[in-house]
Amino acid sequence: MKLEVDRVTKRYGATTALDELSLNLASARVLVLIGPSGGGKSTLLRLLGGLETADAGTVQVNEHRLVANPAALQAYRRQNGFLFQAFNLFPHLSARRNITLPLEKVHGHPPAKARELAEQALGRFGLLKHAEKLPAQLSGGQQQRVGIARAVAFSPEILFLDEPTSALDPEMTAEVLELIQELAEAGQDIILSTHEMGFARAVADQVAFVAAGKIEECRPPAELFEAPASAICQRFLSKVMRY
Amino acid sequence: MTRRQQIANILVAVAMAAGFAWLCVTIFGRIGNRTNWAKAWEYRESLWAGWKLTLVLSLASLLGSVVFGMLFLLGQRSPLPVIRKTCRGFLEFVRDTPLLVHLLFGYFVIFAPLLSRPLAGWGLEDKIIIGGLLLSLFGGAYLGEILRGGVDSIPKTQWDSARAVGFNPVQVYRYVIFPQALRRVLPAIAGLFVSLIKDSSLLSVIGVSEYFYNTKNFISRSYAGLEGYLPLAIGYLILTLPVAWLSHWLEKRFRDET
Repeated sequence: MKLEVDRVTKRYGATTALDELSLNLASARVLVLIGPSGGGKSTLLRLLGGLETADAGTVQVNEHRLVANPAALQAYRRQNGFLFQAFNLFPHLSARRNITLPLEKVHGHPPAKARELAEQALGRFGLLKHAEKLPAQLSGGQQQRVGIARAVAFSPEILFLDEPTSALDPEMTAEVLELIQELAEAGQDIILSTHEMGFARAVADQVAFVAAGKIEECRPPAELFEAPASAICQRFLSKVMRY
Repeated sequence: MTRRQQIANILVAVAMAAGFAWLCVTIFGRIGNRTNWAKAWEYRESLWAGWKLTLVLSLASLLGSVVFGMLFLLGQRSPLPVIRKTCRGFLEFVRDTPLLVHLLFGYFVIFAPLLSRPLAGWGLEDKIIIGGLLLSLFGGAYLGEILRGGVDSIPKTQWDSARAVGFNPVQVYRYVIFPQALRRVLPAIAGLFVSLIKDSSLLSVIGVSEYFYNTKNFISRSYAGLEGYLPLAIGYLILTLPVAWLSHWLEKRFRDET
């Protein structure tokens, strides 16, 4: 995928979430956003995913120029998958229905085809035996895996993951990260934010360090983790890697 | 329950039954030889017609209040401030004034001068139509508030997820927000519907010959007491209990689900 973000600013009331942030990547498969909480990772991800629009600046993802046009943004969102920290699934629908409903209503597949795609997605991640369960009957890790199954059931152009394991215990975190790695290895374009540095290093081909609404540096993981260029990134890494 | 609580429970039950029996004996002792059910039977047709009209008015105002309730919900979420403010002002007015005032004011001041003649021209009873309309507006105002509360109670991630899977705004409401919001507000809606059925009796003040109006007529003409009031209470219970039972059943079903 190709990203061109040029001097983007996003404010929520008096808070400036993104402050003239720029990012240029000619090609990347897996982009991982790291950085302190409140630094702008989620906002950048939501912007790239077409869930928010910038107050100033321009965003281009592959051939899509993201502008504040609700219909165009909706069409853009249809092509991508998005997963949040938690509560992604619709709690009144079974795991299977959570996947088939968007396939039918958004992507226009007939029910039989939607069911087939849902079976494939659930089967791929070993979730078939949970197909009829409601989200409340699934563990947090299973819920996130069903969420990912829903997001990739229609082969999205890019998969956006916003701290997908922050609300999980270590065991569930591992099962979700494994699944994401599997997707990355299968060639899925992914942009994700995370606090799991080991995972970021293993899965990313580009890591962007986001703090105070700016990208301090964006480089391949080996370089960034070995020799962070900016002082703020050094401090952050030495803090989070200490334990 | 502990053994002591069981004994206390039985003792209280006996005491309450005794109290109730004493009340019944005293009351029936005073009026016993003066009740005359034959009189009620004479007026059966008027009472039956009144009950049927109450049923029709209740159903119509339930439907009408759903329509107005949805309009008020959408109005309150409108992007145009003038629509939002007007809706809020109207709902505030309706909630802070008595229904009796709406009915009298709405009928005699607003709608009768406007609609009575054309409605009569089409062979329709203006009081029934306008009464049903006013009741629907009243119910709709409350329903709009209930629905707004339900919609506002759905967490932000659900809106985000619904948009993220690519639903358009109508689909977001239809497939994600409403099914969850309705479950949460169902008890409140059932309570409102029960109130609406009971409040239809107030239409008697503008002369709609529904169940309460006809019963009052019967009582004042025949000097009846118990023979009028007892069927009146039972008649309304027949209408309200099914709604209450239905809501308890649905509530239980949805609770088991999530």
